[in-house]
Amino acid sequence: MIDSVHELQSLVATARAEIARCAAIDALEQLRVRLLGKKGEITQLLKALGAMDPEARRVAGARINDAKGALIAALDERRAALDAQRLASQLADDAIDVTLPGRGQSTGGLHPITRVRRRIEAIFRSAGFSVADGPEIEDDWHNFAALNIPANHPARALHDTFYFPDGRLLRTHTSPVQVRVLQQQPPPVRVIVPGRVYRIDSDMTHTPMFHQVEGLVIDTGVTFANLKAVLHEVMRALFERDVKMRLRPSYFPFTEPSAEVDISCVACGGPASNSGCRVCKNTGWLEVAGCGMVHPNVLRAVNIDAERYTGYAFGMGIDRLTMLRYNVGDIRMYFENDLRFLRQFV
Amino acid sequence: MKVSLQWLREWVDTGDDVPALSHALTMAGLEIEAVERVGVDTVLEINLTPNRGDCMSIAGVAREIAAVRNTACNAPAMDPVKAASEALFPVRLQAGGACPTFAGRVIRGVRAGASSPGWLQERLRRTGVRPISAVVDVTNYVMLELGQPLHAYDLEKLRDAIIVRFANPGEQLRLLDGRTIELTSDVLVIADPHKALGLAGVMGGAASAISDATRDVLLEGAYFSPAAIAGRGRRYGLVTDAAQRFERGVDPHLAERAIERATQLLLECAGGTAGPTRVTRIDRSDPSPMPIRLRHDRIGRVLGVTLDPVLVEALLRRLGMHVSSDNESTDGRAAAGQAVEWLVIPPSWRFDLLIEEDLIEEVARLYGFDNIPEQQASTPAQIAPWTERRMRNERAADLLVDRGYHEAITYSFTDAVAQSILFSDTALALKNPISAELGVMRLSLWPGLLQALRENQRRQQARVRLFEIGRRFSGATGAEDEVIAVVASGSVVAEQWGEHARDVDFFDVKADVEALLRLTSDPQQIRFAAQRHPALHPGQTARIYRGDRPIGWIGSLHPERQRALDLTYPVVAVEIETDVGFEALIPQYAEISRFPAIRRDLALIVAEEVAVESLLNGVRSSAGKLLNDVGVLSVYRGKQFDKGKKSIALGLQLQDTSRTLTDPEADALVAQVVDHLVRQFNATIRDK
Repeated sequence: MIDSVHELQSLVATARAEIARCAAIDALEQLRVRLLGKKGEITQLLKALGAMDPEARRVAGARINDAKGALIAALDERRAALDAQRLASQLADDAIDVTLPGRGQSTGGLHPITRVRRRIEAIFRSAGFSVADGPEIEDDWHNFAALNIPANHPARALHDTFYFPDGRLLRTHTSPVQVRVLQQQPPPVRVIVPGRVYRIDSDMTHTPMFHQVEGLVIDTGVTFANLKAVLHEVMRALFERDVKMRLRPSYFPFTEPSAEVDISCVACGGPASNSGCRVCKNTGWLEVAGCGMVHPNVLRAVNIDAERYTGYAFGMGIDRLTMLRYNVGDIRMYFENDLRFLRQFV
Repeated sequence: MKVSLQWLREWVDTGDDVPALSHALTMAGLEIEAVERVGVDTVLEINLTPNRGDCMSIAGVAREIAAVRNTACNAPAMDPVKAASEALFPVRLQAGGACPTFAGRVIRGVRAGASSPGWLQERLRRTGVRPISAVVDVTNYVMLELGQPLHAYDLEKLRDAIIVRFANPGEQLRLLDGRTIELTSDVLVIADPHKALGLAGVMGGAASAISDATRDVLLEGAYFSPAAIAGRGRRYGLVTDAAQRFERGVDPHLAERAIERATQLLLECAGGTAGPTRVTRIDRSDPSPMPIRLRHDRIGRVLGVTLDPVLVEALLRRLGMHVSSDNESTDGRAAAGQAVEWLVIPPSWRFDLLIEEDLIEEVARLYGFDNIPEQQASTPAQIAPWTERRMRNERAADLLVDRGYHEAITYSFTDAVAQSILFSDTALALKNPISAELGVMRLSLWPGLLQALRENQRRQQARVRLFEIGRRFSGATGAEDEVIAVVASGSVVAEQWGEHARDVDFFDVKADVEALLRLTSDPQQIRFAAQRHPALHPGQTARIYRGDRPIGWIGSLHPERQRALDLTYPVVAVEIETDVGFEALIPQYAEISRFPAIRRDLALIVAEEVAVESLLNGVRSSAGKLLNDVGVLSVYRGKQFDKGKKSIALGLQLQDTSRTLTDPEADALVAQVVDHLVRQFNATIRDK
């Protein structure tokens, strides 16, 4: 047993070296069994203590247990290092090229006219308007006569109309829905009507089908001053900038007074910019809508007391507003549905 | 309408430069569309609205400028020409109020073939009128100057008398432009006792026309009522300067003055001897404007601004209106807080002022729309309905966009031939289409979407997924219903790394449809039944039902139709009616089980004809309410099965909401299901 101190020291030193050299978790596990297993070298030494006298056993026991503790610590430490190494290696193997594009279904997009139509609807809804609609195939009465445009009226020449053999027609504007709404609903009325309209016209700046949004407000105490305020607010909201607005006297048979609505050019910033702007033809102004106070004859056609109620109506071209909003140069792109065009709008 | 500024300034000179004048006119309702320099002159192009026939002349525009700029209009001196002979031609008015006034004058011995002087021709040209001969040019000049259309007849070709009457039905007339037209009884004509000579107020006839040989002339300056002229020219494809003026209204007091002016000019440039101006009238027809009541407070209620009554009167008078008031003094009455009202008689040249609002517009126009302040309405808040019982079109569109579709907008009219490849119904045809390719109303959104798809394929876009929400039109009645339609062609996903390339098929698109209809919160009611559609592949087509109601179709485009439509790749198409299709339920919470579920899989062999849907229904009905879910795990056909058989694997999830289900209970339930399937579908169970 005299040598046992040296033996123990040598055993520990050898084992420590082996643990440090150990490069694999399996090998480290085998080493643990060899040292600390049931038949392990340290275990054998502890078993041999039983043959000693109590004093020697106490001293030797303490020494062996110290050695055991040191070896367990060394094994654990090595295990932790090997685990860390293994994880690092696995993580390195798992590395991907994060710059590769994502996989799966791509998304499509909304038509630009729909984008602007939705904006217009949302803006008007926030101002308390609701959204109505009406038929695209109309009769003469709703499209013209009830709107104070009798047969042979010169204003009809401004509406190149598609007709069907039975005398019906494709609505030339969304205004007939004014009449339909008023036939169904007593004042107060506060609606907009977005929809398709049709005129025989096809060139660089016209398509035979286009989109309008009609607005109609009928109530007591509705004035031209209110109309101006609403249109200006809507234009500011739609273009998200402080556009200027002016109303020019004009003529629509179903409104009196009537006006064209101009806004300061959204491309060049408006009058006096003198930038040679092609969008506004250097006038600084863009015509974006027609409007006016609802003609008493229209109210009478639907049995509304024109003395008690007043109202305003307006109509704007969604396709044109879309051109201005997204800088679309060619109106004919709208209905060609070229994916290279559509992909520009999500 | 084109207006020479030089000419205009002979009538009114405000001292404005061109931009200032243009702006003033534009903001008063006479929009200056273009300004063109012509030598030392400037030509203004005015976009005249149809109500302002009174401005279709130099005199009219000058009058308007004077009113807008609050200045005087100075008509050049035009003295009547004394008669140098007694020559007259009889005129008989037989059309009542349609033509109550007719001024005629005979001028004999004009130089045959004379031309008008250069200055006159130049003014015509600047206004866009082609010079022809002295007589014709003079009548045009006076029309452009004063606004009164005139007509000149070759007196030698007139017989007995001029008669103004309505045409006899079927009566023929050869026009100046050489065409012969057939008349109806609502068309006003100038005739002699034997035949019609011209379309009154629109165009003269060939038989009495001026020529280079004409020596004796009858000048006509008539008043035709707008109602008698409106639309008549357009009916025969004629849009003439005369018709445009008469149908908008020509000052009934202008005819005589215009004849005098024309006589003066004609004698100057072609000589001749004038007879007296003879005005034939029907006295009981008076086209003078009616007085209109105008209330001061109504102006405020329409415009939203209170204008000084004195200003209102002044503005109206500037426009040539006769304004009278019961009130001793408008000023005093207004000051005393009393209601002010006027009786206003519009000038004879204004045909567009009929009611109080027309006058309010005139006041506002001269006051300046810009000077009316913007004012927020104090509308009481109204809550608009916002239903959850319909899926919104916006939601449907968003879903398809998120699943890879682009929204298209196609024309509502389409090509009859291409449409007939897909549909046997006769479409509603337009009477006057813009082209044959856009000649009939669409029966479906497919023709337009397939055309868009084809054009995209031609532009090297092999993968195309489009949808549209819009109306289709019944061929018989034109009845409109809104549908959502989808076409898909090409690879199921865009070409990319890590995804197996595969063309889109029925089931890919069906998944999109299912996702769409799931938004109604009512997926149990949606059913796909194999049916035939003329446009679609007979073996790959389903009609879509919601409960008992058919709501649409899904299918692969029939290969023959695909070829006929010149489509390069196969297409899957869908169309669903939104009316019933988008009705939505309001979701109702159902209890979630806290107990574990048991999964059992079944592999069945059934005949090919057995639809998976009926198998699933069989499972559902036989399993009862412990069945939480059933899914199709695989569909397999192979050599190990008899021909005409297929193997289907189903996954059943069983669960109770009040306790944990035991294995023996699950086994018993599955046995019950199998028993049912064996009996109902002659199914055999495949050993695993």
